[in-house]
Amino acid sequence: MAAPLKVDYAFNAEDLESSAKIVKFSILKKHQEPDAAQEHELASFEETMLPHMDAAHNLAKWLLRNEEDAQDVVQEAYLRAFKSFSGFHGSNGRAWLLTIVRNTSYTLLKKNRAVDLTTTFDEEIHTAGHEPVSPATILEHSENAELIKEAMDELPVEFREILTLRHQEGLSYKEIADIMQIPPGTVMSRLARARGKLKEYLAARISKDK
Amino acid sequence: MNCEEATKLMDGYLDGELDPITSQTIEQHLRDCPNCDQAYKTHGSLIRVIGNAAPYYKAPAELRERIQSSLREEMVAQPMRNVGRDVQPLFPRRQPEPRTTLFGTPWSWLGLAAAIVFAAIIAWNLLPGFQRADAEQFLATQLIASHVRSLMANHLTDVASSDQHTVKPWLDVKLDFAPAVFDLTNDGFPLIGGRLDYIENRPVAALVYQRRKHFINLFIWPAQSVMTAANKTISRQGYQLVHWIDGDFNYWAVSDVSESDLQLFKQAFEKQLPRR
Repeated sequence: MAAPLKVDYAFNAEDLESSAKIVKFSILKKHQEPDAAQEHELASFEETMLPHMDAAHNLAKWLLRNEEDAQDVVQEAYLRAFKSFSGFHGSNGRAWLLTIVRNTSYTLLKKNRAVDLTTTFDEEIHTAGHEPVSPATILEHSENAELIKEAMDELPVEFREILTLRHQEGLSYKEIADIMQIPPGTVMSRLARARGKLKEYLAARISKDK
Repeated sequence: MNCEEATKLMDGYLDGELDPITSQTIEQHLRDCPNCDQAYKTHGSLIRVIGNAAPYYKAPAELRERIQSSLREEMVAQPMRNVGRDVQPLFPRRQPEPRTTLFGTPWSWLGLAAAIVFAAIIAWNLLPGFQRADAEQFLATQLIASHVRSLMANHLTDVASSDQHTVKPWLDVKLDFAPAVFDLTNDGFPLIGGRLDYIENRPVAALVYQRRKHFINLFIWPAQSVMTAANKTISRQGYQLVHWIDGDFNYWAVSDVSESDLQLFKQAFEKQLPRR
């Protein structure tokens, strides 16, 4: 660990001439050992939050579409959550953690890939002109996980987000509104648009493959 | 309800997120309109499939380990950072150490001791307050649960009537107290009916009012002589609770309407109570 080395160095440099400094050294030393209260806090944090790591990772992966970024974001989110854990009094640990994961993901998206936040729109696929595909045909293909994944990955980030929260995490509109920081009334309309778009993209892919 | 409205609300209906009345209206429309019914069925099955077919990316085991060890490091590093500033003077500049000792005890320890004593005094004084707050939280939980249950199970009212002269006698017979019952239609809160409920280990009266498409449960039971401060507003899980005491009764209004609406409701109700 870096810190104790620094202290050792200071210790030698001072030639042991000031006793006050030695006192400081011993106080510093004390902080090395996490005390029982800290251990307890970590244990309670882990108990509350670690079970939601799959949910956190899944959301980050859908938002960022990149495994490495997703892992970094989840780790960062856990550290942030731990630092503000004393301020968490709710009972919904998953929604709280997902809010942090979401915000951390957006920060990264904004920083790295500003283009990602604007609606991605693949002209080649979405220009009209392919044959109309019936709902029944979409349904036939809809168990094709690869197809669903590709179509979902094409959606704008806020649509991927809401579909993940609703369909994979099964969260209520209220929880989704809290996580996405949008009014509860917006959840239904955004979800409807996301599903509509997904249907459209699926149809486009199916007709292209035909 | 026409097809356009039904289509707009279909996602909320599929997700079970509409209030009971709107859900019923949609159900009715789907029974009457084969087109919408067909659209609803296709949309519904597609939505179910999405959830099952889209890959769920579980966290890999190495991420789990990485996070656990980084948390541990964070825990150890946290206090280090706080004393970091004190470490600086260790390096050459010779200046008198400001933190000398008093009778051999470092100042910081005296400070710590003082802080502990201080904290203990504060805790001692606040504790009864916290306990009261706990009891209140528990009551709020019971009230919200009751409210939610009343909307869920087709058991909103035992006696459905907008006539206060029907609801009041019904309740009077069932209870050992006689709560005031008013129809507040003129204030925008029509009375829907009354119900018996059970809160804080006693039967209570629940009056049900409507505000547009939302319901308000007003729970009433006799106030005890030792009551804490009345007039409270609590907001939890998206529900608003307003509490007041008037005369001999405790009132708790619970609803998902906005807080201002609930305050209006309270004023409308209080206006009807005989002045004393």
